Amino acid sequence: MSAKVSPIREPLINGNKTYHQITEDICAPTERVPSLPWVIGFIVAVTGLALYVFCLAWTIWFGIGTWDLNRTINWGWDITNFVWWVGIGHAGTLISAILLLFRQKWRTGVNRAAEAMTIFAVACAGQFPLIHMGRLWLAFFIFPYPNTRGPLWVNFNSPLLWDVFAISTYLTVSLLFWYTGLVPDFATVRDRAKGLRKKVYNFLSFGWTGSAKHWQRWESLSLVLAGLSTPLVLSVHTIVSFDFATSVIPGWHTTIFPPYFVAGAIFSGFAMVLTLMIIARKIFKLEDYITLAHIESMNKVILLTGTIVGVAYLTELFVAWYSGYLPEQWAFYNRVFGPYYWSYIGMMTCNVLSPQIFWVRKYRRNIVITFVLSIFINIGMWFERFVIIATTLARDYLPSSWSYYTPTWVEIGLFVGTLGLFFTLFLIFARVAPVIAIAEVKSILKTAGNQYVGPDAIHHHHDHEVKTVAEEIKAIK
Amino acid sequence: MDNTFKFESKQKTFLLGGMALGLLCLAITFLTDDSLHTRFWTNYLHNVTFFTGISFMSMFILSAFLIAWAGWYTYFKRVWEAMTQFMIVGLVLMLPVVAGVWLGFHRLYHWADADSVAGDEILQWKSSFLNPTTFTIASVLIVAIWYFFANAFRKSSLAEDQGDGSYDQNKRQTVLASIFLPIAGFSSAAVIWQWIMSIDAHWYSTLFAWYCGASWFVSAIAITILLLIYLRGKGYYSDLNASHLHDLGKYLFAFSIFWTYLWFSQFMLIWYANVGEETVYFQTRRDEYPALFFLNLGINFLIPFFVLMRNDTKRKAGTMAFVAGIVILGHWIDYFLMIKPGALHTAHELMGHAHSATADAAHAGEHHSTILAGFHYPGLLELGTMLGFLSLFLYVFFNQLAKAPLIAKNDPYLEESLAHHIEPPYTDTF
Repeated sequence: MSAKVSPIREPLINGNKTYHQITEDICAPTERVPSLPWVIGFIVAVTGLALYVFCLAWTIWFGIGTWDLNRTINWGWDITNFVWWVGIGHAGTLISAILLLFRQKWRTGVNRAAEAMTIFAVACAGQFPLIHMGRLWLAFFIFPYPNTRGPLWVNFNSPLLWDVFAISTYLTVSLLFWYTGLVPDFATVRDRAKGLRKKVYNFLSFGWTGSAKHWQRWESLSLVLAGLSTPLVLSVHTIVSFDFATSVIPGWHTTIFPPYFVAGAIFSGFAMVLTLMIIARKIFKLEDYITLAHIESMNKVILLTGTIVGVAYLTELFVAWYSGYLPEQWAFYNRVFGPYYWSYIGMMTCNVLSPQIFWVRKYRRNIVITFVLSIFINIGMWFERFVIIATTLARDYLPSSWSYYTPTWVEIGLFVGTLGLFFTLFLIFARVAPVIAIAEVKSILKTAGNQYVGPDAIHHHHDHEVKTVAEEIKAIK
Repeated sequence: MDNTFKFESKQKTFLLGGMALGLLCLAITFLTDDSLHTRFWTNYLHNVTFFTGISFMSMFILSAFLIAWAGWYTYFKRVWEAMTQFMIVGLVLMLPVVAGVWLGFHRLYHWADADSVAGDEILQWKSSFLNPTTFTIASVLIVAIWYFFANAFRKSSLAEDQGDGSYDQNKRQTVLASIFLPIAGFSSAAVIWQWIMSIDAHWYSTLFAWYCGASWFVSAIAITILLLIYLRGKGYYSDLNASHLHDLGKYLFAFSIFWTYLWFSQFMLIWYANVGEETVYFQTRRDEYPALFFLNLGINFLIPFFVLMRNDTKRKAGTMAFVAGIVILGHWIDYFLMIKPGALHTAHELMGHAHSATADAAHAGEHHSTILAGFHYPGLLELGTMLGFLSLFLYVFFNQLAKAPLIAKNDPYLEESLAHHIEPPYTDTF
């Protein structure tokens, strides 16, 4: 990595931090008694989790009949929630893998929490395909293994089965990546701890000593995992999009689905990272590490992916018209003007129009606006999946079968409940592990700390170095 | 360090010779062609769209990198700035195609033939998009807007060289880039639909525009690699190091995979759903153009994937030049395969309206084992024409490159770019 830094680059670590201060600041939340906001948040989250467990038990006891699915609309909130959560689970791996390959220094401030969020989001997503089977105790049927059920074998032609492989691979690699990053940081926490706590963290850190050989292997492993994760960022949501696009249902079968789903997933993932990080940086006082520069970069990704999604929406509409294929046109007409027109409006407003304010730098760097918008996008991306799933199914080929779908309290409870599950896991994580990658932030201190770069940098007199650069530039001129 | 490129007369002569070869090939094609000059016009369209797209993508790359605060490429960004200047030439070259849509002296587009439209419901439906006016707007107005931004961007970059140490020009370029990107994102799709997708006038695919764009992008990166290696061999850009090459190699690798991803997504979804209106596109190509169909994937995926997977191959000039050269040819073939089958079919249809016996014979040739040079495989005339257009592209490029200093000395990211190196164990010489 270049040690020379452009004069117009903003620092990514503020507050003239030393290496020791970084350790102190980031380890502190795991060592203190939980703060009041954390406790309140945790109670709310666990209540949500309890609701989830209750609704889950209800669904399993009384069956899928407690949902409002019908013969026409056989996928409703279940798959909407599944796709929504999987999408959210994309930002972590994008940040940890692709941004690592692109050598983006700002990733170090947010990668840990984003990766944790990815894993928890995928855990939430994984619930829905299992629940919507109805007979949860037969869920192991999805695994292809020699069995005693005669010809009852998984359907390898079905994208739903590919989903099983894609998502379990994704979860495994993301988990490995996240944990690998945590090992040196767990060791840092261990070195500051006493008694049982020390023993626990020593176990978690696999006896990390910080020797050069450890670091060398750790770095190789990170790079290998980054290489493995990068195609996974694309593959998971691609295969989710295949669930719809391989069908011949007008409105689902369109070739732009794979890249457009991936862009949408990154979009929603970044929105969720922002929602969480804006709260976390406040509660854990991490403003010096998750700076406005970080938020601005993430807002740029949001603007980019939001606009890509917008191009895709309009492309779909245009090509539906262009195709001259009546059922396709009818499907899209219904999307915009049909019984679920309000969800289409919600989707367009939240996903395409609202992020456009991020063209203005001032708004990209405004925390309140960013927070509100991140919530907007979370809602908008949920609407997108609902629009694709429910709208399309509600008006199928036979007008006599047309139907309308509204969720029951059980379905709503399951969705709200997974939010509880998600936040419970995240809040526990924020208490037991450093929410920012200590070792990685330290690695960029010399090239991104505000005492070294940016307008407030303290000028060190390395005459010979200055001269070489100056010479070089002079020679060019 | 030589900061000005000198466009030597030897190079000029060589490139003019290449252009003469291209003209000669075009002339021979025209004279030996069928009555509608299908081979001539498809060759012409093929090369104009391919090289204009590469030029467009250079502007796209510059804008995207600037907005993303990338620093590593600044040292050689003048190369991309010079490449963008071909857009205006592409615009001019497109004018005969535009005129032909109005006047009917070529039959590239089925929808441009009034008699065909009259008897074809689908073409009638599409006629509010597929018509000479919209085609003219896409080809002239949109490309002119792209060129306007490319030109303004380059002017600002050159003004920065005279700068006072402020970052005003950098800000100006950022503004231009951020206006250009969304315009490019939306308008390139319309242009691609008009230029390429409408050749198969009945067929449609939502992914098509992004797929074509990815092909252009990979070609632009590949040409950049070849040009930089050439320029460095000539003694320019002597501080260009293996890490710069490595990063360009990563782009070539990553976007070759991305192109394959889009190819697969489009193919797989159409194959799986098996809707007749859509499968006809791949059916034709797989059954009647099998060699190119599989060659396309082999060249554009397997070679960059396996050769560039290792770190060290991306740092060697020879290997990189080999892959870049192959990939450019590969994407040129990709465009060949997008354009030829539809245009040939159209020509047969139109010839059929005139003389049914000819049409039957022609259709028989299309559907059975007759293999036509220039359609089922690129013949020598196609290669010669391609070399002609490549020479023109390079002539414009070198001419523009010579007009300005090779290094943007006041760019705030220049130091980063000069000091760019990826961590050991690698050395930066190549």
